[in-house]
Amino acid sequence: MIDVNGLCKDYTVKKKGAGLSGALKGLVSKNTGVIHAVRDLSFHIDEGEIVGFIGPNGAGKSTTIKMMSGILTPTSGSVLINGEDITKHRKEVVKHIGVVFGQRSQLNWDLRLEETFELLKHIYRIDADDYDKTMSIMDDILGIKELLDKPVRQMSLGQRVKGDLVASMLHSPKVLFLDEPTIGLDVSAKYSLRKFIKEINKVRKTTVILTTHDLGDIQELCERLIIINHGVMMEDGNLKEITDRVAPYKTLVAEYYDEDAPEHEKCEMISHEGNVARYRFLRSEISAADIIADLSSKKALKDISIEEAGIDDIIKIAYGDPVTDPS
Amino acid sequence: MKYRQVRRTGSAAGFEEIRMKKYLFIIKTQIIKSLTYEFNVYGNILMQTIIMITSAYFWRALYKGQGSVNGVDTDSMLIYVIISSALSVLLITNVERRIGGSVEKGTVATDMIKPISLFGMFFAEDIGSITALIFQNMLPIIIIGSLMIKVPVMADIRDLPLFVISVIESFLINWLIAALFGMTAFTAVNINALIQVKKHLIRLLSGSIIPIWFFPESVANVLYALPFVYIYQLPLSIYIGRGTRAEYLAQMRIQFLWLVILSALFFVVHDRVTRKVMVQGG
Amino acid sequence: MERSLDTLRHYLDVTAQNIKMAFMTIVEYPSNIAGWLISNPLQFIMGFAIIKFVVESFGEINGWNYGQLAFLYGLSVISHALSMIFFVQGWFMGWYVIEGDFDRYLTRPLGVLYQFFFTNINIFGITDLIPGIIVFIYGCITSGVQISFMFVIRVLIMLIGATLIRGGIYILIGSTSFHTRSAVDFGQYTQEIMDKTTMYPISMYPESMQFVLTYLIPIGWVSFYPVSSLLGIDNGISGGTATALITLAVGLLMMWLAGAYFNSGLKKYESAGN
Repeated sequence: MIDVNGLCKDYTVKKKGAGLSGALKGLVSKNTGVIHAVRDLSFHIDEGEIVGFIGPNGAGKSTTIKMMSGILTPTSGSVLINGEDITKHRKEVVKHIGVVFGQRSQLNWDLRLEETFELLKHIYRIDADDYDKTMSIMDDILGIKELLDKPVRQMSLGQRVKGDLVASMLHSPKVLFLDEPTIGLDVSAKYSLRKFIKEINKVRKTTVILTTHDLGDIQELCERLIIINHGVMMEDGNLKEITDRVAPYKTLVAEYYDEDAPEHEKCEMISHEGNVARYRFLRSEISAADIIADLSSKKALKDISIEEAGIDDIIKIAYGDPVTDPS
Repeated sequence: MKYRQVRRTGSAAGFEEIRMKKYLFIIKTQIIKSLTYEFNVYGNILMQTIIMITSAYFWRALYKGQGSVNGVDTDSMLIYVIISSALSVLLITNVERRIGGSVEKGTVATDMIKPISLFGMFFAEDIGSITALIFQNMLPIIIIGSLMIKVPVMADIRDLPLFVISVIESFLINWLIAALFGMTAFTAVNINALIQVKKHLIRLLSGSIIPIWFFPESVANVLYALPFVYIYQLPLSIYIGRGTRAEYLAQMRIQFLWLVILSALFFVVHDRVTRKVMVQGG
Repeated sequence: MERSLDTLRHYLDVTAQNIKMAFMTIVEYPSNIAGWLISNPLQFIMGFAIIKFVVESFGEINGWNYGQLAFLYGLSVISHALSMIFFVQGWFMGWYVIEGDFDRYLTRPLGVLYQFFFTNINIFGITDLIPGIIVFIYGCITSGVQISFMFVIRVLIMLIGATLIRGGIYILIGSTSFHTRSAVDFGQYTQEIMDKTTMYPISMYPESMQFVLTYLIPIGWVSFYPVSSLLGIDNGISGGTATALITLAVGLLMMWLAGAYFNSGLKKYESAGN
C-alpha cells in the first residue's frame, strides 16, 4: 500500500545572532546551516492499518507525513502509494489520499459548510450517489448533516474538525493522513474523532496515518507505532511489542508486617523502605504469580501490587531519555 | 532590581519610567524584527531605486525643451523626486493593518485590557520600524539618488528647522489618518478596501508623485484645504525652495491645525471604540 | 485528445463552481462592496485626471496628445483590471509560502497554480474594469481611431496577452518567496512602477530603459507597443496586426516562464510550523 524508501529531508536555515547586534550582523554576513529533519526513513504500511507517528516536537514526524502526502518534496528517497511515486505523479496519487491537518482547515471560512463539500465534489468528480452514500455514513458517525447549513466562521473548533474530517473523506480515499488531529479538542470532540477513525477503518478499510502527542489516541487507535526522534526511526511495532522491547520489566510492590524483606534470585530489589519492598523482574523470565508464591513461602505478605511501565514511560525511553524509576 | 525599587517608592514618576521603558522595549524589538528580514531590506531598496529612477526619467522627459514650468525647473523637480522617495520611507504605517488583524481575529478585547495602551503599542511599533528603515532604506535611497540622479542639495539651508518640523508633523498627520482609517475596522468587517482608498488618496492628492501645483487652480485650492498636501508637498516645497518663508509659515499653520483636528478626532473616536469594545467584548 | 478535452472540461467545471462561490462570498459581506466600489473607480478617475493636468502643464508627452494618452491609459487599466480579477492573488504569494497555505492545494488533484488563482478569483476586479472601459471608449472617441471588426479582434488579443504578461510578472516576483522565505510587498512598489511604464508611452524614456522594458521585463508589451500599433504611431519595433500576435506570444512566454519558476520554487516549499 505505502512504501517509504530511504526518505530524507534537509532544510537550509540561516543562523542569526541574538539582539540588535546579531540582527545587524545578519544583514551583511551569510551564515547558513543544514538541518537534517528526516534521515533515511524506510518502512512499509499495509492496507487497513492504523499507524501512529510519535516523537517529541521537532522530531521530524510532521515533515515525514507532509512528504508522504505530497506537500513537501523529499531531498532524497521516495514515497510510493499504491506503487506510484507521489512526488512524480502528484495529481494522480493524491486522488487516493485524504488529509486533515490539525490547525489548518480546508473549509471555506466565509460560506456554509456544504459549499466546501460542493467544491470538493467538483474537484474530485464525485458522483451524486457516492456523495450521498458517504454523507449518510458520515452522518451516522459524526452527525454532520445538522452542520451543513452553518457558516464555517460560526462553528466551534470541534465542529470545524468534524467538517474537515468529512471533507477529507468525500472522495473515499484509500489513505487518510492526520497531523495532530486532536490538538485543542475537548473530550467529546476527541471521542467523536477517535470513533470516526475506528469506523472508517473498519467500514471502508481506510488506511490511517496520524501524528499525535495524545496518549489516549495512541492507546485507543494505534495498532502500530512508529517512533521518530531527531529524524531517525527509533521504534516500529505495536504497542505491546515496543513495550516488551524497551521496557520488558514490571515492578512488584510487596508490603510485609515488619521491616525485614526477603530477596528473590530472579528479580532485583530496587528499593526497600520501612515495610515496603519493590522488586523489578523481566516478564519473559518469570511471572508475577510465581514471584508472589515464592515470596509468600519465605515470609507472610500483607499487601501486593504490580506496576507496569506506563505508555508515557515507554515513549520517554524510546525517545532516548534516561530511564526514571517508575516510583 | 531597579523595577522593584521603583515599585516600593511607588512614586508617579516611577510608574512613568516603567511605562516609557515598556514603549522603548517595543521600539527596540520592532527594530530587531525589521532588521531580520534581509531580503525585504534589499528588495525594498531595489524597488524604490527603480521607482525613483523611473520618476526622474519621467520628469526629464516632460521637461525636455522647457526651462521652468509652474515656477519649478528640472533640477528642483529631480530633487523633489529623491526627497519624496526618501520621505516615503518615513510614512510607512502598519497601525491600520494591526487593528484590522486584531479585530478580525477577535483578540481586540483582550488586547485592550493589557496593561499597555493598544494604540501606544502600535505607535511604538511603527516608530521602531521607521527607525530601522531610516538606516536600511532612507540613507541608501539618498545615496543612490545622489550618485545616479543628482545630489539633493537643499535650496536654502536656513529653512532646515522649518523642514524638520514640517516632516515631524507630516509623520504624525499620516499616522493619525492611518489610525483613524484603521478604527473603521470596528464597524466594517473587512477594512482592506478602505486601506486602499486611503492609500490612493495619499498617493494622488498629497503631491508625492505629481505636485499639486501642476493641477488646475480650482482643484489645487480644494486640495490645500485637505490634510493630504501637508503630508508630502509642504516639506518638499520647503526643501526645494518653491515659495517664500512667509508662505511656508502660513502653510505650516494649516498643517498644525490639521494635526490638532486629527488628534482631537483620534481621541474622540478612540474613546468611543474603547467603550464599544468594553460593552460588546469585541 | 479525448483525455485533454476531458481535463479541460473538469477544470472549467471547477472554475464555474469557484466563481459561484466567489459571488456567494461577496453577498455574504455586503459592506465590502461599497468599499471597493468607491476605492477602485476613485483611483482611476484621479489617475486619469492627473494625466490631463500633466498634459495641460507640459503639452504633448513625447508627441502623444491627450486623446492618444487616454486611449493608452484606458487599455492599460482594462488589462490591469483583468489581471486583478484572475491574478491578484499573486501579490500575496509570499504570505502563502510563509504561512504554509499551499498545503491544501498540493493535496488536491489539480494544478497548484490553477487552484491558487481560481479558488481566490477576485470578482471585485470588475470595479476596476468599468472605469477602464469608460476611459478606453473616451480615448477611442478623442483619438479618432477607426473602429472595425479587425480592430476589435486585435484589441481582444492584445488584452489577453497584456493580462498574461502582468500575471506572469506577479507570479515571477511572488515565487521569489520560495527562496527567500519572506513576502514581497506588492501594492506599494510594483503598482507604482507599472503605472509609470504602462500609462505613459515608454518612448519618452532613455533607450537603455526601453530596451529593458521591451526584451527583459516586457512591460512595454502590456500597453505601449499594442496601443501605438493600433493608433498607427511608429514605435520602432513592431506595427500592424503582427503586434497583437507578438503581444499574445510574449504573454504566453511570460506565463510559461513564470509557471516553470513557480514549480521549481514549489520543490523548495517548506510548509509551516513544527
